[in-house]
Amino acid sequence: MIVSERSEPFAEFYREYAEPLRAGGISFEFIFVVPASGQALLEPLIPLRASGEPIVLFESAENVGEAGLLRSVLTHCSGEVVLVLAAYRRVAASALPLLLQAIDDGADLVVARRTAAGDRAANQVQRRLVHGLVRVLVGGPFHDLGSGVRAIRREVLAELPLYGEFSRFLPLFAIREGFRVQELEVPQHSADRRTRIYSPLIYLRRLIDLLAVYFLIRFREKPLRFFGLVGGLVSLAGFFILVVLGAQRLAGKPLADRPMLLVGVLLFVLGVQGLALGLVGEIIVHAGSKGRKVYRLAPIKPE
Amino acid sequence: MLTITVPVYNEEESVGPMVDAVREALRGWRDDWELLFVDDGSRDGTVGAVQSRMPDEPRIRLIRLARNYGQSAAMQAGFDHARGDVIVTMDGDLQNDPRDIRALVTKLEDGFDLVAGYRERRKDFLVSRRIPSWLGNALVRRVTKVAIRDTGCTLKVFRRELLERLRLYSDLHRFIPALAVAVAGARVAEIPVRHHARRFGRGNYGISRVTKVLPDLITLAMLRRSREHPLQMFAAAGIAALTFALVTSVFAMLAAWDWADNGSVVVLTAVATCWLSLGGFLILAGLIAESSLQTDSDDRQFDGVLLRRIGSL
Repeated sequence: MIVSERSEPFAEFYREYAEPLRAGGISFEFIFVVPASGQALLEPLIPLRASGEPIVLFESAENVGEAGLLRSVLTHCSGEVVLVLAAYRRVAASALPLLLQAIDDGADLVVARRTAAGDRAANQVQRRLVHGLVRVLVGGPFHDLGSGVRAIRREVLAELPLYGEFSRFLPLFAIREGFRVQELEVPQHSADRRTRIYSPLIYLRRLIDLLAVYFLIRFREKPLRFFGLVGGLVSLAGFFILVVLGAQRLAGKPLADRPMLLVGVLLFVLGVQGLALGLVGEIIVHAGSKGRKVYRLAPIKPE
Repeated sequence: MLTITVPVYNEEESVGPMVDAVREALRGWRDDWELLFVDDGSRDGTVGAVQSRMPDEPRIRLIRLARNYGQSAAMQAGFDHARGDVIVTMDGDLQNDPRDIRALVTKLEDGFDLVAGYRERRKDFLVSRRIPSWLGNALVRRVTKVAIRDTGCTLKVFRRELLERLRLYSDLHRFIPALAVAVAGARVAEIPVRHHARRFGRGNYGISRVTKVLPDLITLAMLRRSREHPLQMFAAAGIAALTFALVTSVFAMLAAWDWADNGSVVVLTAVATCWLSLGGFLILAGLIAESSLQTDSDDRQFDGVLLRRIGSL
């Protein structure tokens, strides 16, 4: 399954990636999905489909992001295992059978990790920084969530939060849901060895996504632990300032014309707002707790 | 039927002695029981150890969680899969004694929904376990207003009707009695139980859990007082903030009267605005909380408190 927003020589892409699957005797279909009005991107594939290649083409009616496209297309895919490929050739075609093999060996989701050797130093540094941050915040064994290449059991994919910008963080959610998630080192595609530096806005967006993932994975069931810590510390700081100012007032120093008074009150008010949000969060979690599954069972193998 | 549900995490060595102890304790009293092990994602041979006892004891059941979810989820899984109308929870590490089950069940039949054990003579380390536990219990009592001596003792007996109204998530297993009173109006009793030192392995918790307890306690206290009407609580705090705003505005106006005092006017007006925004925010937050309860009211059974019929029909 390939979800794309940008043009890529898709005919070549298809031929290259289909080859090892066919050679391995694996039955497969390729689903290409493009966002609204991206139909022109798929035109090179139409003759291939006409010649009998197993290709399905979709254009979405609305721009819903990569995870949203995945969710929409899920009902149309007939395989038991879904290979989600990046729209750019990031891993060598020979990686695909390896990923499928890992699923056969019992994993529910396999993340392709591009071997670092040969990649540009700038990419490696970025990757290390980002994944260090991911590990600190959320955990997990990942080194290359950005490869965009994963093999997933279909029924597992259906249970993951497929919305928003979470597609690259799906493996983290899969771990939370108790699925067996694995990272597999595979060769990088030669076309992928270029320095990737993006605009600061993109980095900022990823950082915000990561904050959402961090909160959803660590605190979804206990919002007050997050809001309480932040709000508690901020309101305590404000309270401390107010106590000091109050003591100085008692000692005879005027209070009303000191900007510090404003800082103290503002911090206190901000902190209380954080705490209140946490409490609202707890009420919402509690109100929704009845219908929510708090665990998933694993099958038991007979001895 | 009696269900004994035991969450186990890396308790390979404890499982066998546990099965023997339960069988021994219940022999001659009742036969209609099941022992339900909930494997919480163990990495050792716990599952195999349970399975090896299943052929010669058909009353053993086993479910496995997909990963290590923690004790609350494991207990909830046990409750969801229990077949009994009376359900016992017990630690998997042999610190509780199954011989106490009978006394707990007898007490339950006196008309309680939940009977909790409390460990009279704890066999734990004083500084790392007993003192934090003593402080924690005192805090739980104070905040939740539920008189429980030992909320950390897993050995408890429940009526099924109560468990149908409870939902354990996060780390709520530590506060089951308080939660049961807060959300279901349960009648709770406590009796002393035996406590053994761990025989195998080491405890699966550390002292760090104390830091997580405080937010959970605040949540419980709030659920108990204002689960049905959160706006009341938020609005009370909001009105307090608005009062501060009003008082500060009066001071600002007094300062404005005297134009020479420019600095005070600016600071006091800003301070009043802060309080005003907090008051408005809290009332709006209360409205959101209220609306989240509305979506929940389609399951009356879950929402209702436990009722006791007075007199005969």
